Amino acid sequence: MRLLQVSLRSSLLYSLVIVLISIPVSLLSLHKILNDEVDELLAAHTAEFLKHIKTFDYLEDLETDLEVFDQLAYDIDIRPSDDQDTGASRYETISSYDSVAHERRPFRELSSQVIIKGKPYVLTLRMSLVDNDELIYAIGLVQFALIVLLAGGLLLLNRSLSKKLWEPFYKTLSQLKAYQVDKSGTIAVVKTNIIEFNDLNQTVSHLADRNRKVFLHQKEFIENASHELQTPLAIFQAKLDLLMQKPGMSEAEAALITDLEATAQRMARLNKNLLLLSKIDNEQFTGKEEVEVSKLADDLLSNITFTADAENVSITRTLEPLRINANKALIEILLTNLFHNAVRHTPEGNVQVQLHDHTLTVTNHGKPLTMDPGKMFDRFTKESPKSSSTGLGLAIVKRICDTYGYGLSYRYENGCHVFSVGFNGVA
Amino acid sequence: MKILIIEDEKDLQNSMLQFLRQESYICEVASSEEEADEKIMLYDYDCILLDINLPDGSGLNILKKLKEVNKPEGIIIITARDSLDDRVEGLNLGADDYLTKPFHLSELNARVSAVIRRKQFGGSNKIKFHEIAVDLPGKLVTVNDRVVELTRKEYDLLIFLLANKNRVVSKNAIAEHLSGDHAEMLDKFDFLYSHMKNLKRKLAEAGSEDYIKTIYGLGYKFST
Repeated sequence: MRLLQVSLRSSLLYSLVIVLISIPVSLLSLHKILNDEVDELLAAHTAEFLKHIKTFDYLEDLETDLEVFDQLAYDIDIRPSDDQDTGASRYETISSYDSVAHERRPFRELSSQVIIKGKPYVLTLRMSLVDNDELIYAIGLVQFALIVLLAGGLLLLNRSLSKKLWEPFYKTLSQLKAYQVDKSGTIAVVKTNIIEFNDLNQTVSHLADRNRKVFLHQKEFIENASHELQTPLAIFQAKLDLLMQKPGMSEAEAALITDLEATAQRMARLNKNLLLLSKIDNEQFTGKEEVEVSKLADDLLSNITFTADAENVSITRTLEPLRINANKALIEILLTNLFHNAVRHTPEGNVQVQLHDHTLTVTNHGKPLTMDPGKMFDRFTKESPKSSSTGLGLAIVKRICDTYGYGLSYRYENGCHVFSVGFNGVA
Repeated sequence: MKILIIEDEKDLQNSMLQFLRQESYICEVASSEEEADEKIMLYDYDCILLDINLPDGSGLNILKKLKEVNKPEGIIIITARDSLDDRVEGLNLGADDYLTKPFHLSELNARVSAVIRRKQFGGSNKIKFHEIAVDLPGKLVTVNDRVVELTRKEYDLLIFLLANKNRVVSKNAIAEHLSGDHAEMLDKFDFLYSHMKNLKRKLAEAGSEDYIKTIYGLGYKFST
């Protein structure tokens, strides 16, 4: 649920409750005001009536006239009374039949004890009241219209607000989603007049900048460290070469030197691969040219055929021509690493290399993996602790594929490891 | 043959010096750009080993100066920075070869001798060792004037051993030399053994003496 929806829901609920409460409240207060008004009118009319009746005091048959008047006037009753107590008056609301509207309607009555020509009378004046039902109906209608307008208005407002008001927020969000510390530069700040968003944007871009700096420092560090290691490794190697020339060495001593040399070579290779990775990361392989993949693969396979033969691994290839635009050195590394990986992990048998429909597939026999295939392309993950493997070959392959957007996938089927590289981006 | 080693790392400088002197080269050393400039202006060398990363400047400057004064030396660049740009720039500036640290001294030796031969003998570049003769431009190997058919790897192997004759060359160094950039799977030397076996057999069949000696646990030595 979106933030605006949450706040909208609360405000809608609140206005609904208020409107609902306002129905009885306004009904009651309207009722009260109307009744008071009618009561005042009735009292005024009664006083007026009595004032006028006094002017007719001289009439002999006023008594009969009053009787007639009582019959004629619809909203005035005047009847003789037994009660001598004058001045008492009583308000009440009654319901009586309205012959005009043909329904029962509420009426307000004021009954007063009056003395006319020495005789007690009860004077009752009545006025029609607004029908309660109608009142409720009218108020309800008004309030309902209010709710509809309020809710509709709020929804419309919300929609346009969430589009306009939150636009900078969603822009920042989409930038953050697309942000990659190794690729993207900085996050461009969109200026808004909302303080919170400005704060957010500034914080985000600051954070991104700092991350990028840390990342660059680290990258630089790896590259520098690898470079710095080259010289001591060179000295180590040179001293070993000198030591080897010493005459009269025993076989055990010689074996020790060979082991040392193999270790030095492993260090050098590890270092070289780390350097290579960091160079790919630093995008130092920029020059692009047209590369004929099938030709390159063919040459590289010819180069390692002899090595593979010596390990009882045969290589078969079916290569369709494929031209791509890329850095030749990188493609060479990509292919070499894949081929070497296949040969290295084939105990005995066959490595198949197929280039078909923009996809290079390298298949080799071998036991199923014991490690998690998901970690296959991570740095320093090795299936077998073979001494000379650096655990970086496939990581480099992955990095190159990422750089050019090639699809890279691994699967195990029919007792074979299958690696495929989709030069069209399909894994 | 005079060689100038321009390298600021004393330990490495000494090792190179020691190894190349045994090859009966006359070697001199320089540890900085200034020192190197001085020596280059005063003397002529057959080969200059040039470290690109010097404390007081880039070795590429020295290379530029050398080319300006048109000195005929063979130049091998040595660098810790295995960057393609450096390599391309170095070779464009007229360097003859390029070697990345770390390297085997036997590899350095082979490169030095190749550069010197190319510079000195040009088109008629031949190596002779007793009854074995190699015509380098034609890549032709003969034993007592009989042509020996060698594969490319066997030929490379023979040249490498000849360049390092009378020295112990380790299996690792040979394997690395033969596989070049493809040195990723050197945990087994089976391919090396079979190349070596074939080379020895072909030389023997052509009537050559067996000069390639196995140094157990270490490698090989080409010697009389």
